[in-house]
Amino acid sequence: MDLMSFMQSMGNNSFPLIAAFFIGLMTAISPCPLATNITAIAYISKKIDNGKRTLLTGLVYTLGRMFTYVLLASLIVYIGINVQAISLFLQEYGERLIGILLVFIGLVMLNVIKLNFIKSSGKFDKIKERLSEKGYLGSFLLGVIFALAFCPFSAVLFFGMLIPLALKFSDGILIPSVFAFATGLPVIILSFVLVFSISKLSNIMKKVELVEKYTRYIVGLIFIIVGAYYIWKIWL
Amino acid sequence: MTENQENCTCGSYACRGNRLIFYGLAIGIFILLLVTFIPKYLNGNTAASGTQISGDIEKVEVYHFHATRQCVTCKTVGAFSEETVNTYFANELKSGKLVFAHVNIDLPENKALVDKYEAKGSSLLIGVYGKEGSFSKTEDTNVWYKIDNKTDFTNYLKGVIEQKFSGS
Repeated sequence: MDLMSFMQSMGNNSFPLIAAFFIGLMTAISPCPLATNITAIAYISKKIDNGKRTLLTGLVYTLGRMFTYVLLASLIVYIGINVQAISLFLQEYGERLIGILLVFIGLVMLNVIKLNFIKSSGKFDKIKERLSEKGYLGSFLLGVIFALAFCPFSAVLFFGMLIPLALKFSDGILIPSVFAFATGLPVIILSFVLVFSISKLSNIMKKVELVEKYTRYIVGLIFIIVGAYYIWKIWL
Repeated sequence: MTENQENCTCGSYACRGNRLIFYGLAIGIFILLLVTFIPKYLNGNTAASGTQISGDIEKVEVYHFHATRQCVTCKTVGAFSEETVNTYFANELKSGKLVFAHVNIDLPENKALVDKYEAKGSSLLIGVYGKEGSFSKTEDTNVWYKIDNKTDFTNYLKGVIEQKFSGS
């Protein structure tokens, strides 16, 4: 049995949580979420330290995705918002928002745009500090926003497969949560592996600060490239 | 959660207490959710979804809905579907018993069709008209798993359409 047939049979599993998990894995590796997930991996891995913080940041990113998916599913299952309308709306505007946002964040990271210009009071600096250094709040927000990026195929997986499942069992909470966990799982695992290997490497070279400085720039560049990809896809 | 973790770098007794409460709460909520939903999962499985049309079939419609901007996978689903109906249902297409079309959901002239089928974006939807005037529609999501294998795809879709014609 090849991989796709396996994914199909698991995605149609009669126990909805197993089905939701595998639909989530399909989503994680489909082109559009893959692009956002790679960005998230870069963001989460930019601070090189022990694996614990990385794991937590990855988990918080997944929680952010969960927030969005549970919100959408609950609106549909419990409040009865029109699936077609919400699906078409998000497919129309989700990617545009993300493209612009990614390029903007990337430019801030590369210090091309200095947020202090806008207002040099401490408040903005604090927000910027938190977003870029601590990583938890930033990861959560990234998860929330990235989950809103529906490309045609990820929309099929979410609105065509997961939402019917949630509706069938009138569950707008647990099924989308398990789905969200599966979409974030590759991010958690890959970030951990990446940070672990980079930290080992930089310890050997005794150049942790230098490596961190470079990763910041690399991450900024990844944001701009992925953002440009979205913008190019839609407007050019 | 973020607040909690940020303040808890100290490892003090109070912080550890907070953390325990937090984890306890998270696990509690999770168990509560499981207890609430698992009975639903076990019971809700028997209900068949959608109305089944029994008796004679007047017409079957196969529509590939898509947006102006299409993903590679979406184009493949459309192309394979078209090939399937052209290869296996040429007579039905000619007689009008089977209808196939690519429908751009962004075009205003398609709005009635999009609304009738409640297309939520790229999708393959199959509508069945019974002789007595009934209508039922189903979205086929299985085709998305078969885009790597054209033979698989066409055989599968052929089977689905034949099943619709047989009225089961």
